Amino acid sequence: MEGTPQRSIISTRGLTKHYGSVAALTDLTLDVEQGEIFGFLGPNGAGKSTTIRTLLGFLHATRGEARVLGMDVGTESVEIRRLTGYLPGGIALYDSLTGEQVLDYLVEMQGREPYRRADLCERLELPPSVLRRRVRDYSRGMRQKIGVVQALQHDPELAILDEPTEGLDPLMQQAFYRILDDLRREGRTVFFSSHVLSEVERLCDRVAIIREGRLMAIHDVGELLARRRRRVTLRWRSGVPDPVTLPGLEDAEIDGNRIIGTLSGEIAAFVRSIASPNLDDLLIEPASLEEAFLEYYADVPAPADTEPDDR
Amino acid sequence: MRWRLFIQTLRWQRVRLAVVILAGIAWGAIMPVLFDAFSDTIRELANSGAFPEEMLNIGSGSLFTLPGTITLGLQHPLALALLGIFAVGASSTAVAGERARGTLEVLLARPISRVALYVSILAALLLAVLLVLSAILGGMIGGAAVVGLVGELDLAQMPLVLLNGFGLWAAFTTFGLAMSVTFDRPGPAIGLSLAWLLVHYFLEILGSLWADAAWTQEYSLLHHFDPGEILTGRADPTDLLIVFAAAVIPLAYALIVFPRRDLAAPA
Repeated sequence: MEGTPQRSIISTRGLTKHYGSVAALTDLTLDVEQGEIFGFLGPNGAGKSTTIRTLLGFLHATRGEARVLGMDVGTESVEIRRLTGYLPGGIALYDSLTGEQVLDYLVEMQGREPYRRADLCERLELPPSVLRRRVRDYSRGMRQKIGVVQALQHDPELAILDEPTEGLDPLMQQAFYRILDDLRREGRTVFFSSHVLSEVERLCDRVAIIREGRLMAIHDVGELLARRRRRVTLRWRSGVPDPVTLPGLEDAEIDGNRIIGTLSGEIAAFVRSIASPNLDDLLIEPASLEEAFLEYYADVPAPADTEPDDR
Repeated sequence: MRWRLFIQTLRWQRVRLAVVILAGIAWGAIMPVLFDAFSDTIRELANSGAFPEEMLNIGSGSLFTLPGTITLGLQHPLALALLGIFAVGASSTAVAGERARGTLEVLLARPISRVALYVSILAALLLAVLLVLSAILGGMIGGAAVVGLVGELDLAQMPLVLLNGFGLWAAFTTFGLAMSVTFDRPGPAIGLSLAWLLVHYFLEILGSLWADAAWTQEYSLLHHFDPGEILTGRADPTDLLIVFAAAVIPLAYALIVFPRRDLAAPA
């Protein structure tokens, strides 16, 4: 993506939503570029769903502006939704219809052909025999799969997915991740909210952190992971070196013939420094994104002037 | 107006609609039969003074004439129930029910404005109401034919009866749908819509039973649909104006309020 002009698919400026005296969202300013998978992270009640619902025109902003696909969410939300696929969190479907009828109904309402349906159903293991069953007989995971298909079957320019992997088993989560990878390769944009850091790490190009209705930061996931600390364990046959001579190693402890510590930054110099026939074993455990965030935000206070809510 | 939503709304109701139409035909057909069988007896009862005549009427209807019997049949609680299934029940739950189930946001994620959604659902429900009303009136004509009394009805006036009746029940339908777009749960919407119908029924019955309270009937929408008067050539155009005005006001309210509402995540 670098070096090519980017078009903002989602752009908000000072977007604010109050419910009476409760601030659900305060001064949200962010840009999501074409072709990226943008993660929107935050705990429950942080304002993720409020943001999404405002982008889709379900909620009216108290202040600020938002544009999706270059269109104003306040006045052009119908056209925005024509080009968008949306998966609500904890999706509800029409229980009396079969899965196939639900998909037919929703794609007809969308006014586009279900270009991707067959592929999505195959990858998410929704064979015709399952689609012919009534939704009321579906498990939560199957409903979620139908939710994913209805959001993407018409090949939207932008997919807005609210907690998309909730209810999916690990195999289906992997299948879903591969679907999003393919969408990215095809230049589609994905905006998804999650509180699962591992899937953000797996999928996203950038991630925004929202807390109590306020945007805390926007990170490039690659950069965040590059500067994370790694847990290192070294075991020596003999001649345990002085840890201070090992570049990048911090918080080192010597335990017999082992050195345990954390490594941050570039690892090349560290690897060169430990190259020795006396080295018996080396274990480098990559810190998860979760740990990276915990490190990053350990000293960041929560916004004090907003009230948490459960939206 | 979105045809797909219009059709789907009717599909949701199709079994109920078929049953209610059959029941409506049966109910309509039985009214002329009752008139044929009991009108003389009731007339004698009234003439005997054993019962005040008011007690033998229901609302603006009576069993003393066939047109009066038709009015009675359309103001009877059973007719109100048949028509209310769509004008009150289906309308008040149409949007609030989808909202409570969480399917409204799936629907509104499509490129459909809230106005188009409202109009599509309203059109489907009005068609259902029209079909039920037609079934009841059709049953009445059929019943009159069976007992050989169809000649007592001025069938040329039937379209006006249908139009006036449709206006009346459109007023309850638009009110129910207005409540449905106002609340996030169907309970309050159903409650208020049902209360609205019952208030009008109460005012109509109260005025018909108690001469001193006859003025209350003027405030009942049900009073402004009197097939007996229409079929005897005494139609009052004001009645049409009143019922259609009563239909338009909630419609206008809903078209203003619904697009401006915040639809927060369902609980």
